[in-house]
Amino acid sequence: MKDLKHLFYFEKLLEDANNELVREVQSKGRLALGYTCYHMPEVLLNLGNCFSVRLRAPRTGSMEMASYYMSSGSCEYSRALLERGLEGGYHFLDALCGVDACEAMNRAMENMELLQTKSEDKKNFFYTNLDIPCTDDEDAVAHLKEQVSRKVLKQLHEKYGVDISDKAIRDAVNKHNEVCRLFKEMDTYRHLDNPTITGYEFAVFVLASYVCPKDLIIDKLKETCEELKSRVPDKKKAYRIKAVVVGSEIDDPDLIKLFEENGVRVVCDRYCYGSIPGRQEIVLNNDEDALTQVIRNYELTTECPRQCIQHKVKYRFEHAANLVKEYGADGIIYEQMKFCTYWSYERTLASHVLRDEYHIPTLSIDRPYISGNSGQLRTRVQAFVENVEIKKIKALRVKKESEAK
Amino acid sequence: MEEKKKNKKGLGRFYRGDRRAFTHREWKGFKDTTYDYFRWLKLYGLMVVKLAVHPILMVKALLRYRWMASYLTAANMVDRHTMGLRGKELRYTHEQFYSLMYYSVIKIRDIIVRDKHLRPNSKHAAKLRENTLMFDEMTPSIIMAGFPKTKWIDIAMFTIGEPGEVDQNANVFYIDAIEHFGMASDVCPLPEAEVGCAVVDDYPIVGRAYVTSSMPCDGSIGQTSFLGRYMEKYGINVFQIIPPQRFNEEEVQKFAVQNLKKCIAFIEKEMHTKWDWDAFWKGAEMYNTSTQMMINKWDVNCTPYPQVCGAALALQREYEYQEVACLDPFFIKTDVKVDKMMQKGYLKDKKEDANKPKYRAIVWACPAHYYTNFTYWTQHCWGVKCVVDMECMLSHHFFHIGDKDQAMIDMAKSYERMMMRSHTNGGYVNSLDECWKMAEKFKADIVIMYDHVSCKNVAGLHGLYEEQARKRGIHLVWVSHDLMDPRTVSRKAMRMSFNQYMQNIFHAEPLDPSLLDYEDAITW
Repeated sequence: MKDLKHLFYFEKLLEDANNELVREVQSKGRLALGYTCYHMPEVLLNLGNCFSVRLRAPRTGSMEMASYYMSSGSCEYSRALLERGLEGGYHFLDALCGVDACEAMNRAMENMELLQTKSEDKKNFFYTNLDIPCTDDEDAVAHLKEQVSRKVLKQLHEKYGVDISDKAIRDAVNKHNEVCRLFKEMDTYRHLDNPTITGYEFAVFVLASYVCPKDLIIDKLKETCEELKSRVPDKKKAYRIKAVVVGSEIDDPDLIKLFEENGVRVVCDRYCYGSIPGRQEIVLNNDEDALTQVIRNYELTTECPRQCIQHKVKYRFEHAANLVKEYGADGIIYEQMKFCTYWSYERTLASHVLRDEYHIPTLSIDRPYISGNSGQLRTRVQAFVENVEIKKIKALRVKKESEAK
Repeated sequence: MEEKKKNKKGLGRFYRGDRRAFTHREWKGFKDTTYDYFRWLKLYGLMVVKLAVHPILMVKALLRYRWMASYLTAANMVDRHTMGLRGKELRYTHEQFYSLMYYSVIKIRDIIVRDKHLRPNSKHAAKLRENTLMFDEMTPSIIMAGFPKTKWIDIAMFTIGEPGEVDQNANVFYIDAIEHFGMASDVCPLPEAEVGCAVVDDYPIVGRAYVTSSMPCDGSIGQTSFLGRYMEKYGINVFQIIPPQRFNEEEVQKFAVQNLKKCIAFIEKEMHTKWDWDAFWKGAEMYNTSTQMMINKWDVNCTPYPQVCGAALALQREYEYQEVACLDPFFIKTDVKVDKMMQKGYLKDKKEDANKPKYRAIVWACPAHYYTNFTYWTQHCWGVKCVVDMECMLSHHFFHIGDKDQAMIDMAKSYERMMMRSHTNGGYVNSLDECWKMAEKFKADIVIMYDHVSCKNVAGLHGLYEEQARKRGIHLVWVSHDLMDPRTVSRKAMRMSFNQYMQNIFHAEPLDPSLLDYEDAITW
């Protein structure tokens, strides 16, 4: 397929957490609010002149300092963020909005707080750590609303004078929805029999929307949507199987590239930093305050294994299976960040449930933070592709034989 | 010849690399040996009276469950903890451990008479199951104070937790089972073994509903997804108690109370019973008494003359709160008895200015289940006495008797500050700052810092502990372990790391050189 016009531009934006767009808007007085997790409602970090930056540590090399503080057995993503923080890579932030959802991330944030990784120039800087409930009922919504109101909105208002009114929240939701509609349009091309957008390209665009001021990339996203309308797919399919990727945090599109270089076309991204959940419109009504509705939306849509209530566990497996059906995928890749406890359990259980109960071919992997060049992963993916192909050939043979009979 | 002579003295002579049991019993002098032997008989007598009356069920249980055989070595566990002790310290320890063993024996009996696997066709067992609620290990059962007519049994504690403490290799099979199933080997082996036990179907089914929780850590949250499915397989409904993380904030209590009320409603519905406030107040009074007894022990241990120390202090409190919910009169009776003995012992030591420890230590972070007597070893080998253990510093506030709304908040706070969670959750202040506070309060020379290699929670503060200890001039001795898996870090390796610190930093001479290096890899 012909290269997409803005792909290179977006790739460049992903090379640095403090990228050119972040620097540009900060020079105009806008506030960069760092966060890491879906449990922190992104849309509320985009009120008024604020913009959200979902933290990454691109081009991470050594994590020696962070390993000293958090030990080498902690989640590599958390350590990579702490390392970057200690190096001064997040000095541009005006606040760090953390969540007490998983141990590693929580401790990474606490280390940043105690080791003072913020810039000394940011006098109004604040850290937060939200208490995240393990369920999605109305009590949980009220609880999270109290947390967000007290620990984020009140701070923004008092320290930076940010408008946190109902109207401001609705405005932020509208802007968020505009971006989501563009991704919904892009997503339609992943549903095609021969998708006209690759998983890697989609991952780059989605990631950019998490780490840049959205208003500055929206034009280029629109242009990309236009471009996709007339994009001609390769005559010969450039992949051997289609797969849904489910799992923990992937903020490095090179991992998706690795899957695709080995015969997989990633048609659906159901992982942290992916578009599901996160790039779906938030529908508000006028009967209830916007804040409650926003919080409820995030509580109901999160697919984090922290939500251990049984109906949520079942929902996650069913949803993964439904995505396979919806996108016409041949299998699922369940991945986890190495040392992530939640996803270790979820991946283990899901890999059996989806294979044995839903009869979906499943590849189950754990991987380091930077894994785009992993030879071991390549071998695993290649074996999975062959496995799925053999299954398809066998199924076809059985079908032909039964038809002949 | 020289070596042989040396080995005739010291506690190290009771171990041999090729033996599971001790080579022989310790001679503690006539009086203490007689007392010790009497306690040994008492424990086996209890086991015979309560369990041997069900010989067929016991044999079936031993054949059906891998974990059951570990209980046969219960007396060895007590011996491990009482070895080297004399006089009043020996008596405190026996009293504390006996209450724990007493409860365990009763519960094992309750399990085998109810178990669906052992008695699939028994109407009597089915009837007993109808009135029994099952609990997960890391879910305190204090809520049962309001349900006096309903029995409860912690199934995970008696299949995984306690066997791992009695027999160091008890959990290894379950850990391997789940790792073969696909689990990453870096997760905490406690929930991992619990999940492994479900995968090989080794849980007894003894009740009609199951209460679990998100406590105390990410691993427990992961465990519930497996155990929930396991219970569903048997048609058993599940409730998850999900206390808030940031429990130092008063604002979170509303959510916590709502969650507990839902749990009460679940139990009422599933067990066809009603919450009983009168019974709850009685239970709350028992809880308050046991808490007061615990605080008394801490107060005495802050003085130069600590009395009830080490695992006798910690393990008994863990069981009394976590498993018994402070609702067992036998535990309370023991608490009162030990309290009296302790006060007397303290006054005597104070008067004589005797029995001051050479070094005072507090234990921080999660200890190894497979080496609960580690601090007795530090005491006998190096004179390092453990005056308090983080694990026993759980839920130590009092219930307000008579105030229903406040009592619910008290109960929520009690859950939030359950074992381990009390310090590992709720932000670094509960772990880091609290450690230094306790080191000062208990006048500790040393902080024995358990480095549970699979615990991501405490690991996340590793560097800060190091830095802050150095700044404060505190001796922080890291002792690595893997909680339930002695293959990762053996008991011997744990001792070696402590030896190195004592020799290289303190330049200390061991009190008992025979304990410096010995083999116990295959012992229980």
